[in-house]
Amino acid sequence: MKHFILGACLFLTGQTFSQFSEDLIPKEAITVFSVNNIRLLQKISIDDLVKYEFMEEVQQELFDGSTSNKTLKDAGLDFDQKLNVFYGKTKDYEISGFTFGIKDKEKLFVVFDDFEKLESSFDGVDFYGSFFNNLIIKGSSALLVRIEPTEERIADKTDSIWYSRGLEYPWINYVDDPGFEEDFIDEIPEESDMEYYDYSVDDVPIMEETDPNQKNYFELRDSVQIEMQAELLNNLCTDLLLNNINLKTSDPRFEGQLTHESEGIFYLDNSRNIQKANGLWYFQTMFPNLYDDIREIYNENVLLGDLFLNDNNIQFVMDAKYGEKLGSIYEKMNDAKFDKNVIKYIPKSNTAYFTYNVNMREAYEQAYKIIMPMLQDKKDPQISANVLTIELINEFVNKDALFGTYKGSMFGTFNGIKKVTTTKIVFDYDEDTFEYSETEEEAEEDMPIFTIGFTTERGDIPFKVLKHLSRLTSRFKDMGEYWVYEDAILGAAPLYMISKNGLFIFTNDEDLALNHASGYGSESISKKDAKKSKKSGFMYAQIDWANAIDRFPRDFFNARQNEIIDAMRGKTGIMELTSSKTSVSGTQFNLEYNYQGSFDNSGKYLLDLLNSLYVITK
Amino acid sequence: MRILKTTLLLSILFSLSSCLEIIDDVSLNTDGSGTFKYTVNLSSSKSRVNSILSLDSLDGKKVPSIDEIKTKVSSFKTNLENQEGISNVTIESDYENFFFRLTCDFESVAKLQNGLKIVIEEETNETDIPELDHSWLSWDGTKLVRSIPEITIKKAKELSAEDIEMLKLGTYTSISRFPRNVLKCDNTSATISKNNLNVMIKTNPYALSQNANLLENTIYLVPNKN
Repeated sequence: MKHFILGACLFLTGQTFSQFSEDLIPKEAITVFSVNNIRLLQKISIDDLVKYEFMEEVQQELFDGSTSNKTLKDAGLDFDQKLNVFYGKTKDYEISGFTFGIKDKEKLFVVFDDFEKLESSFDGVDFYGSFFNNLIIKGSSALLVRIEPTEERIADKTDSIWYSRGLEYPWINYVDDPGFEEDFIDEIPEESDMEYYDYSVDDVPIMEETDPNQKNYFELRDSVQIEMQAELLNNLCTDLLLNNINLKTSDPRFEGQLTHESEGIFYLDNSRNIQKANGLWYFQTMFPNLYDDIREIYNENVLLGDLFLNDNNIQFVMDAKYGEKLGSIYEKMNDAKFDKNVIKYIPKSNTAYFTYNVNMREAYEQAYKIIMPMLQDKKDPQISANVLTIELINEFVNKDALFGTYKGSMFGTFNGIKKVTTTKIVFDYDEDTFEYSETEEEAEEDMPIFTIGFTTERGDIPFKVLKHLSRLTSRFKDMGEYWVYEDAILGAAPLYMISKNGLFIFTNDEDLALNHASGYGSESISKKDAKKSKKSGFMYAQIDWANAIDRFPRDFFNARQNEIIDAMRGKTGIMELTSSKTSVSGTQFNLEYNYQGSFDNSGKYLLDLLNSLYVITK
Repeated sequence: MRILKTTLLLSILFSLSSCLEIIDDVSLNTDGSGTFKYTVNLSSSKSRVNSILSLDSLDGKKVPSIDEIKTKVSSFKTNLENQEGISNVTIESDYENFFFRLTCDFESVAKLQNGLKIVIEEETNETDIPELDHSWLSWDGTKLVRSIPEITIKKAKELSAEDIEMLKLGTYTSISRFPRNVLKCDNTSATISKNNLNVMIKTNPYALSQNANLLENTIYLVPNKN
């Protein structure tokens, strides 16, 4: 929580940049936050900003904790420039850092006092270093960057050099080692616990003192790492400083985003992000052609966002852009008619709700059309067998029944917390003997009340399943208007199932099942809100934070958590997410937070809120 | 890894606020043998326990499944049955209400403590738990000196401040039963039953975690007429 708040503070308080700070963002950046200081500081003065408690820690983070009592004001930064924070990863290395503008270089090095000047091989560019961090200053702009080659690449190169020198295998083979103690096996975690076991070099019984080769290997490895970093940094600087190749010149979408008149912009290139998805390593290794095809589907997939701090709200506008193939699947999937029946089941008194319109049948057909030809081209026997299986399933499965049962559209509501009746065991003591006996008595527990419903044309199919289950256990009961599954929720509360109005609904709201199985009627959300859901593209969501916070039961949280919740009271509002219709090229999302309470402007409101949370979680 | 599971189980027990109710009940016979009962009642918060059990992990630690807990309980029982001087071991387990009770007969309080120490060490696969060397029961035929096992306090102290705060709503009841009348006891919080054969102290796990001496008590019996 604390790190999230600090991250948000860093983002919002972004001091920096000169007009060209964005020209120093490397093309390898996959994610970028860019803060428009000029616009931001019109709403939050730097004098006000540095007074916040959280700024002390932000400044410590920025200045590497080395300079106390220095604020952003003392850092020599140019607030007429943007601050850009970036991160990127290729298969060979990770890169992260930020770029900013400089007004007073002397002041800058008062706060960045642990950086030492290094030799520069680029005219007009100064280099400074501090451990693995590099500060590169060109004119009035600076790039603070860290490049880390991946462990795999470092190991590859180190091994290559190690063995080419005729050196022996650098690791101890414990199994064949006569001195190996079998007790060590006891220290190896059970398989089921493996994912929870934190490995470190210390877990491996390396005997540096008795095996000088081992130490030499690590020394070589360190040297390789430093050399690789130097080489990567040189390549980066050649691109940025000599060839003028950066993210802005490489991706016109990012360049266009930089021209937006917003307080901040966001950029995420999903097409490159997928390359670092660890789950795809198997495909990448075993089926490189298939992996390339999968990547092709994600081509041109990018998320572009704008943050606006308006007078009465905070707005985040996001544009999800797709390539043709992925876009065609999304377009078909999101081309679903809004099911008006869901409105009947969203009560006025809700705390939060969403509606989601999806056509699974169309999405399936389009995905089949796009993906199967890719698979059919492959000569690999394993893929070929999978293709056959998919084709047979496609032929044999009754898709009308399948997609008639689950069409894809759905809705959900959260209706706060209600007391539910449950049982507990209590002890009755005999005063004469202190003997005790247990009796079961009724008790009440707080339970979040939710409803989730799916649009269906085949309500008869889920009931076939329910009938079968009711023959297996008496906990499933047919109550006529609805079905009930006793003690289904956390072993304490029943789950109700309703099939009406072309919807199949799951809820733990007894009132809905018993009294409103056909809908809330006049107690459902207003026509105005219903219209918003209907008009929003494929999804709509709304959360009433004031209502949500008032409904949080205090005994659900500990004292500390309740302090945080109290701090948020009076700083609450309505959050609303809307979307456009999806086209082949993209979908637009709009997240708006309209707040209530007293405030000077949205920027100050947000900082007040962040500061409250920071102070509480400190 | 086993100790991780055991610690997690204890942690879960201690972090369930309103819910935790523990009764430890020792009945002594004239010859020093007796019956030990240890009851844990989580039924007041079974939805919360269920919600924890539905997680894969909590605070970075694996949450055991019901089956894993059953296996552990069964293993504990079998192991305790095999300890010298301990017999008639039963464990009542109600996984709907999360109610558990261990009952066993013992030949002497020393054998009971030793048996429990061995079983805990074996079940946790940890041989060096100094807290288990602590003697929490001693009986010389005229007086019983008792406290609570230090391991319980140790585990409570490992909890976060927030979790410890949540222990305030639980209860910890310690009962000692004797074959002849109680003359007096040292702990002023203790209550002697109307029939003069039993002593009870009630507190809450929070208070206990802050002051391990709360349950310390020396109970003197009227001299044996023989």
